[in-house]
Amino acid sequence: MDIGYYPGCTLHASSSLYDVQSRRVFSEIGITLNEIDDWNCCGATSAGKIDDFLAVAMPARNLGLAEAEGFSEMVIPCSACYSRMLVAQKQLENNIKLKEEINAELSKKVQGTIKVSSILEVLLTPSASDELAAKVTKELKGIQAACYYGCLQTRFPFKIPINDDVENPQGMERILKLLKAKTIDWSYKTDCCGASASVDDETTAFNLMAKIMKDALSRGANCLVVTCPLCQLNLDAYQDKFCKKHGIQDRLPVYFITELIGLALGMSPDELQIDRHFIDGSELLKELDLI
Amino acid sequence: MTAVELEFNFDTAKSFVQEVMERSDQNLLACYQCRRCASGCPVGEETGYVTPDRLIRMLVLGDRESALNNDLVWKCVSCYTCGTRCPNEIQTARVTETLKKISKETHQKPLSPKVAHFHSTFVSSALRWGRLNEIEFINFYEIKNTLTDLKNFRFKAIFSEMIAQGQVGLNMLRRKRLHFGFQSAKGRKEIKRLYQRAKTKQRG
Ligand code: SF4
Ligand code: SF4
Repeated sequence: MDIGYYPGCTLHASSSLYDVQSRRVFSEIGITLNEIDDWNCCGATSAGKIDDFLAVAMPARNLGLAEAEGFSEMVIPCSACYSRMLVAQKQLENNIKLKEEINAELSKKVQGTIKVSSILEVLLTPSASDELAAKVTKELKGIQAACYYGCLQTRFPFKIPINDDVENPQGMERILKLLKAKTIDWSYKTDCCGASASVDDETTAFNLMAKIMKDALSRGANCLVVTCPLCQLNLDAYQDKFCKKHGIQDRLPVYFITELIGLALGMSPDELQIDRHFIDGSELLKELDLI
Repeated sequence: MTAVELEFNFDTAKSFVQEVMERSDQNLLACYQCRRCASGCPVGEETGYVTPDRLIRMLVLGDRESALNNDLVWKCVSCYTCGTRCPNEIQTARVTETLKKISKETHQKPLSPKVAHFHSTFVSSALRWGRLNEIEFINFYEIKNTLTDLKNFRFKAIFSEMIAQGQVGLNMLRRKRLHFGFQSAKGRKEIKRLYQRAKTKQRG
């Protein structure tokens, strides 16, 4: 199967490991990711705070490009890009005048036909998850994951239905079950990590992340698993700092979901670039005899 | 924090709440102050008195001054929790985003210049190249912060910011998370045209 793929800026920069992992994992289960040609930044969470028109126009150009390339579906691993693209599509659908205005400047006009999917949605289609379950060569015994979804995987500023529970999503849990990893029930899976506040309002972000960390630890998790590169970077890069500030002793590695899938499919830590974590990602895996 | 007294001004109330409702596309008059939003707001501890329901009250009463200058506008992380839970589907994040824009357009001093700098620098960097180059963005952002701090004689703040950012950068480098390559989209002219249109709309 061939689908469109929008990596977004971070997957081409600080979180390029997520890009590498996604491509490898999908090709292993028979899905080819075709990167949309000449895509642009979706505006992330910033555009909407600067200008409403731009906040729709920036993602819109990508929707037009993907549709012109003939894709009926486009997968977006980054939660922020996924959310922006989905919301823009909804706004264009609701507001014909806005759509006309934006289309007037685009060489590839938006039709509104493409399906925008999160990485979990694609992995959980029956054919993909069957294939995934069949390809598992290493069961992830001993992993006790706290699946962390953050905000943008399930909550949107517009009414947009999704295939999961908004406050207690189960997508990652279902995938990890296929890999024979355990997951914990916990209360902070859709709480906010602070997003850009880690850069512009550290106190707030650290308070939020400390709460997430404390709950995950108290319920016996030995790692956090995420789909969003910003959540990953926040919880990983600042973990030592916010834990020290809030008197938390233990540390947890923060894996992308694709990292654990890759491992279960028999890929090597090098191939998956597991050495690019701030909180060592290989220590736990060695302890559990998984690498 | 003790409750603040809200100013009520009939003339300004009407036009201001109308502007915010139109731009945020939220029906603030539907709010019946049940405070379900407040109980789930993750930054509640930081914002003290001002919870989403109270921000809406300020708007409905037309207290422009309080509505633009409070911690919630600048500390809201746009997590959409309040809006998902509100029985009247009011997305306060859209309101705080609108208030940030109004604050900028009317040249008010933002309560948190760093938050304002972050978003404006992000968008201009992304528009310049069509894609975001993280190192360029962070550098421009820090320059803006430094200028604000200089203007306000906050030399200690500049120093500690430099140390903190230096540490983050060094850690990123060590973990191979700094990306020195450069990325851009060829179609950025199209994006610039869209930006021009956005600016014309703002003026109009
Ligand atoms: S939850 Fe909605 S109706 Fe209730 S106070 Fe908050 S904004 Fe108003
Ligand atoms: S969107 Fe903003 S106001 Fe609403 S719950 Fe989240 S942080 Fe609070």
